Amino acid sequence: MIPVEYYVGLSAILFLIGGIGFLVRRNVLVALMSIEVMLNATNLALVAFNRQHAQVHTGQVLSFFVIAVAAAEAAVGLAIVLSFFRLKRTVRSDEADLLRN
Amino acid sequence: MLLQAFAISPLLMVGIGAMLLMMAEAFSKVRGGLALGAAAVCFAGVACAAGVWMYGVETIPGIDAFSPWLRVDRFSLFFDALLCLGAGLSCLMAGGYLPEHNLDRGEFYSLLLLSTFGAMILSAAGDVLTLFLGLETMSLGVYCLAAFRRASARSSEGALKYFLLGSFAAALLLYGFALLYGVTGHTDLQGIGDAMAKGNIRNPMAIMGLVLILVGLAFKVSAVPFHMWTPDAYEGAPTPATNFMAVAVKGAAFAMMLRVLLTAFGDPRSASWASGWPPALAWIAVITMTVANLVAGRQESVKRMLAYSSVAHAGYILVGMVATMHSATQASAGVLFYLLTYTVSTAGAFGALILCGRRGAEAVTYEDLAGIGRRHPAAALPFAFFLLSLAGVPPTAGFFGKWFVFRSAMEGGFYWLTIIAFINSVIGAYYYLRVLVFMYMREPAAGAPVATPMRSGYVTAALILSAVLVIALGLTPTKSLSVVFQAAAIFGG
Repeated sequence: MIPVEYYVGLSAILFLIGGIGFLVRRNVLVALMSIEVMLNATNLALVAFNRQHAQVHTGQVLSFFVIAVAAAEAAVGLAIVLSFFRLKRTVRSDEADLLRN
Repeated sequence: MLLQAFAISPLLMVGIGAMLLMMAEAFSKVRGGLALGAAAVCFAGVACAAGVWMYGVETIPGIDAFSPWLRVDRFSLFFDALLCLGAGLSCLMAGGYLPEHNLDRGEFYSLLLLSTFGAMILSAAGDVLTLFLGLETMSLGVYCLAAFRRASARSSEGALKYFLLGSFAAALLLYGFALLYGVTGHTDLQGIGDAMAKGNIRNPMAIMGLVLILVGLAFKVSAVPFHMWTPDAYEGAPTPATNFMAVAVKGAAFAMMLRVLLTAFGDPRSASWASGWPPALAWIAVITMTVANLVAGRQESVKRMLAYSSVAHAGYILVGMVATMHSATQASAGVLFYLLTYTVSTAGAFGALILCGRRGAEAVTYEDLAGIGRRHPAAALPFAFFLLSLAGVPPTAGFFGKWFVFRSAMEGGFYWLTIIAFINSVIGAYYYLRVLVFMYMREPAAGAPVATPMRSGYVTAALILSAVLVIALGLTPTKSLSVVFQAAAIFGG
């Protein structure tokens, strides 16, 4: 049986990859994907920790809700990206520069 | 059963009202009236909250059936009323603003109400599950509201930045709570708090969780250096939506912050200066106030200035948050009172800004407002009044809000923090008074577009309501103080 720590380590690595991807990449769609990676890292952590606290399934239930919310978030996010793309013909976040100061 | 439904009637009112409004918008051919309906739902929510408050929420049997998911107590009732008030004022403003600027699409109101519903859930959440759901319900609605002007590149750009940073912050917050779940085995805030009190806070994973949660919360209340999205989202959004973000979203974010920090991290060790969150929060407060006030003074756009001013106000509120480490009840009562005064003054200021413009000539910059005080005193006077309240000039509500927060910081021994906050509110007066100077002492440059105020019963009603509340809170703060003390009493000690 693989120890829980390994899962938690993997989730931390995924979370870092997502976080760094969000901060470094200028493509809005990649930023959106990075956020999804971060949320899925959270899910992995929740499910892994649930094995440590196995009396109730709080962590697993919470991860289901996170999946549902992440889907809703992606829907709204893509709609906003689409409306941005329609007006600017780009999905690069460094060209979102109308609002300053 | 019926009494339990009565206890959550503010939530039911807004939730069901939002659904009905969505149906009405989809299936009826009648346009207009939606604003009135939405505002009526919001004010009915205020009335329900007041009703449950007066009935005595503690005496309702079976109220614990909702916990830990929803904590139905005086704290959440206070926020129900506050958030519904802010949302109701935004609906009234939208009733004038949207038709004037050719944006009159009905989904605005259902989005706004559903978002308010999420905010109310957030302020009542006693468990990470409901906290996250409420947070996302609120935020998703507000992202849409920020992007509401689909033809405007500014609007979608502001919404894009808001969405990306908002979701990033939510992910940080959630990972922080996941780590805490790993340490404590609890997702309810009280359970986390009990486990923390047993010394779990020394666990490095718990410390990491606390840091992530603090960063996530700072994003949500738009504290410097996590405020980058605020001015852009506020400027791009239609002004009633800006008002909703400044008032209701910020209020709910502070409710979440109070509950999380005082329930889950309220033990003497985590809430101590030596080994807890207060010093981090104090430094964030200092940077927030100073940076926001300095940058706000350099703005050309009044709307953007008001956005930075709302960041600065978040800084003042954080001063009160720091003081909760010594006297949880008294300092959080100060925070609640500040939020109340901030809500009515900010709503008034945004309402007056809406009133000063009309189709094709929205008043946004200082130049737009030049000379409006002489040409249209009826529009300039309320603007000046609410700005004075935001600046904290006695005897307006804003003065007492600052007074109580600063006093609780003094009593907690944070003299340096109070002095910095005081200096900052003096700096802040500069840019509020600059609007007055432009309105009353400047004439528009030759050939420059001249703002003419719009006429709208809705906006006027919103302004009158906020003005009455600002004056009432300023002249008789004792009554509302007893209310906020009862609301803050849930934190005990």
